[in-house]
Amino acid sequence: MGADLVLALLDAANFVLAIILVAMGLMVVFGMMRIINMAHGELFLLGAYALLVVQGLGGSFWLALVLGPLAVGLVGWLLEVLVIRHLYGRVLDSILATWGLSLLIRQAVILWFGPQSKVVAAPFDLRLDIMGQPFPAYRLFIMAVSLIVILFCFWLFHRTRLGLAARATIADRATAEAMGIDSRGLDRLTFAFGAGLAGLAGVVMAPLLSVDPQMGLGFLIPAFLAILTGGAGELMGVVTGGVVVGGSQSLVARVASPAVAELVVLGLAILVIRLLPNGLVGHFRQRR
Amino acid sequence: MKRQRLVQGFVWAGLALLPLFIGEWQVLQLAQFLTYGLFAMSLALAWGRLGLLSFGQALFFGLGAYAMALATMGRLPGLEAWPSSWLGLALACLVPWSVAQLLGFFLFHGRGLRGAYFGITMLALAVLAERLTQGAGWLGGLNGLIGVPPLALGLDGGGPVLFDALPTYWVMLGVAFAVFVGLEALLASSRGLAMTAVRENEDRLGYLGYDVAAIKRHGFALSAAIAGLAGGLFASQFGFVSPKLIGFGLSAEVLIWTALGGREMLLAAFLGALLLSWTETVLAGLLGAYWLLALAGLLVLSVLFFERGFVAGILTFIAEGRRPGRR
Repeated sequence: MGADLVLALLDAANFVLAIILVAMGLMVVFGMMRIINMAHGELFLLGAYALLVVQGLGGSFWLALVLGPLAVGLVGWLLEVLVIRHLYGRVLDSILATWGLSLLIRQAVILWFGPQSKVVAAPFDLRLDIMGQPFPAYRLFIMAVSLIVILFCFWLFHRTRLGLAARATIADRATAEAMGIDSRGLDRLTFAFGAGLAGLAGVVMAPLLSVDPQMGLGFLIPAFLAILTGGAGELMGVVTGGVVVGGSQSLVARVASPAVAELVVLGLAILVIRLLPNGLVGHFRQRR
Repeated sequence: MKRQRLVQGFVWAGLALLPLFIGEWQVLQLAQFLTYGLFAMSLALAWGRLGLLSFGQALFFGLGAYAMALATMGRLPGLEAWPSSWLGLALACLVPWSVAQLLGFFLFHGRGLRGAYFGITMLALAVLAERLTQGAGWLGGLNGLIGVPPLALGLDGGGPVLFDALPTYWVMLGVAFAVFVGLEALLASSRGLAMTAVRENEDRLGYLGYDVAAIKRHGFALSAAIAGLAGGLFASQFGFVSPKLIGFGLSAEVLIWTALGGREMLLAAFLGALLLSWTETVLAGLLGAYWLLALAGLLVLSVLFFERGFVAGILTFIAEGRRPGRR
């Protein structure tokens, strides 16, 4: 019984951190640029396929871990220059256009790699013994990566000059520009950074999933729900939302079925949005 | 305005005469696309008029289709002996309408769910509905329900049946035309003006004393009922319903039809659905996966540079002799 509980909690923590890992880039782009990036799931997908390509060429997982985020970040940079920069201040249009981009990328992946799902290898196949139950060490690795990403983002946006400049641009673009901040450069950088995070998530998660062109959507929705429940617009929100959404989905899936768990989570998210429109974090911040 | 009505009249008249010049198989296919057109009109109402970007509109289409299938196949508990098409049509409108009312109550009232969040919630709902339908044995699971009977005119499911190509086409066109006329009348009324005002600036409308949430909720429910009607009609023509009708894929398609046709003009959205579905059947074999690639590219381009939609642009050009300006 005790082992079951520990394992359930470990599973939940694993899922929570995975969702936060995927949602982080989404949050950075939305929080900093007010762009709802529906193509985020497909950037995640590109990360996974980057791993596939690198491994296919004989490279190692660790090489892909470096190259994948860089490549996807470059794609993000291109998208910003070609499409996203026309969309600032047009939230609804940003959804529609990035969603078109997501279809475009997914379809391009289908044309290039075919619609069937592929398998990529994890860098190590170690099983740890946790209270008498085997637990794949690779999942602990994912959790560690997610924690590092969370801490890195907090550090980047709250402790560095670059992060300060990025936040200043959001708060007041004109004043920030008057202070000599290159706001266009920051836009490109922020979007590329968000895309790179998606790529990183894709590389890291791919060995646990079947890599197929539809995999982006499955993670996009919980990631969005995490941001909505937590409170859009700040890093703390995505962490809180990830815990609520990921935790409840994982635990309900254990006692009921995965479909019921999704139903419960969606219902919960709608309730939170109805009662606390600023999300959990925003709500308690206002009360203080 | 007068010339615009004239153009609309010509379009509908052309559609009514069209089946006389094409083969029977094509007429049947077009009759199916007419229900897609109706579906696109429902989205144009919610999105183009109320500014509600419903990313999961197929939820309502699918609910309508399943309601129709269950009713006419005699699978509704207690109503097995009464497989009436009329009951099916009524349920196909009522079930989505009630779901939308309920959703609207949660999503629009209070401080409410603005633009983007609403779209994502609808997307999540449609994806979830597809998954739940796949697992529901009563609804046929993954295989769906095969053998939905065609529309029967008798109250108890008997009587003459709508089966031949020409009558089916004209009945579908008639329904679409009736919905079109009704919606145009609604949109021209003061109530319709309030709906457009929601899109333009809902805060200001609220200051003027309008109950914005109620306007949104009722408009959304009307749009859902029309989508459900389209789904019901589709099911009875196609003879088959499956989880695909309720989920993400079809939601995506209707959004593209409406965006490329023209979200702010009912007729443009309607024609967009018709033209794109038609082109797809002609070109899909030729282009395969490139078709969707091209559509997605067109969608991005139209959002960036031609928000009003291509068909709407052409119609406006014909009616007014000029290019429509950007909003």
